[in-house]
Amino acid sequence: MTRPMERTAGRGPAEDPDIGDVLAAQADRAAFATLYRRYLDRVYGYCFYLLGDHHDAEDATERTFVAALGAIDRYRDEGSTFRAWLFRIAHNQLANALRARSRHRTASLDDVPEPMATVNDPARLAGIADEARRLRAAVAALSDERRQVIVLRFVDGLSAREIGEVLERSEGAVRVLQHRALRDLATLLEPEG
Amino acid sequence: MTQPQSAAERLDRAVDGVLDGLSPVAAAAAAGTGPAGRPLVLLAGELRAGLATPPVAARFEERLGARLAPALHGRAPVAWAIRHPGRLLVTGAVGSAVGVGVTAYAVWRSTRRSGAAHRLLHR
Repeated sequence: MTRPMERTAGRGPAEDPDIGDVLAAQADRAAFATLYRRYLDRVYGYCFYLLGDHHDAEDATERTFVAALGAIDRYRDEGSTFRAWLFRIAHNQLANALRARSRHRTASLDDVPEPMATVNDPARLAGIADEARRLRAAVAALSDERRQVIVLRFVDGLSAREIGEVLERSEGAVRVLQHRALRDLATLLEPEG
Repeated sequence: MTQPQSAAERLDRAVDGVLDGLSPVAAAAAAGTGPAGRPLVLLAGELRAGLATPPVAARFEERLGARLAPALHGRAPVAWAIRHPGRLLVTGAVGSAVGVGVTAYAVWRSTRRSGAAHRLLHR
């Protein structure tokens, strides 16, 4: 399992942790491999949580990296972090994939592995797995936009500002979406009865 | 530091704390979410712990690596080779090294996966 990466919440673009690697990739495309390795899991995770299907997520991930490599020369550090730019490309690929679907998503997110646990008690491990399944089912039941915010925030570790750049919403709007998504999840996770 | 104005801003600040490794209780207290917001911060802690990044299939990584490798070499090969014939060998060697590197990375990744995660990918 990969944990959310370091965040840049509230930080300026000058502190984009990837900018050195981006400049290197613009000077020599071979250096893009570093960015590819860093973000493959996370972009794939974003695509999978939104599409709920491994094959569709692979297609969207492939298109994202091919597009990013083709456009890396045009990336400019103008207030956005590289990863917000990259996830914006992924978001556009997801929008295309979702539009192309004539059916509703079949996502049960059952194939996502359980979080890595550091306990050895089988009963405790089973409890952790059940809880993770419950969380994923609730996330899958959210509207597309609220699910995007939850996944980008908690799986990919983006800040509200970065998510706003990905979704083309204001930072404040993302915070409100996050608030509503968490309230929805709390309702969905309430014990029945 | 100014106090966040809205409940959504206070919650976002608390989520920042949770994602930075604070306990949900401490993050809620630091952000001043109040009793109404505290359950949502606790839920944020559960999400942080419970949502995993799904593993990437090894064969997909290999396919994508192979697709990206020529683009990583850059340049229009024929015209550039005609203009710079002396650099062709160097470019070929570097390009091959990049391709080998991407493939080796994919192979290395495939070998370090846990058995359980790997089985999930053989669908």
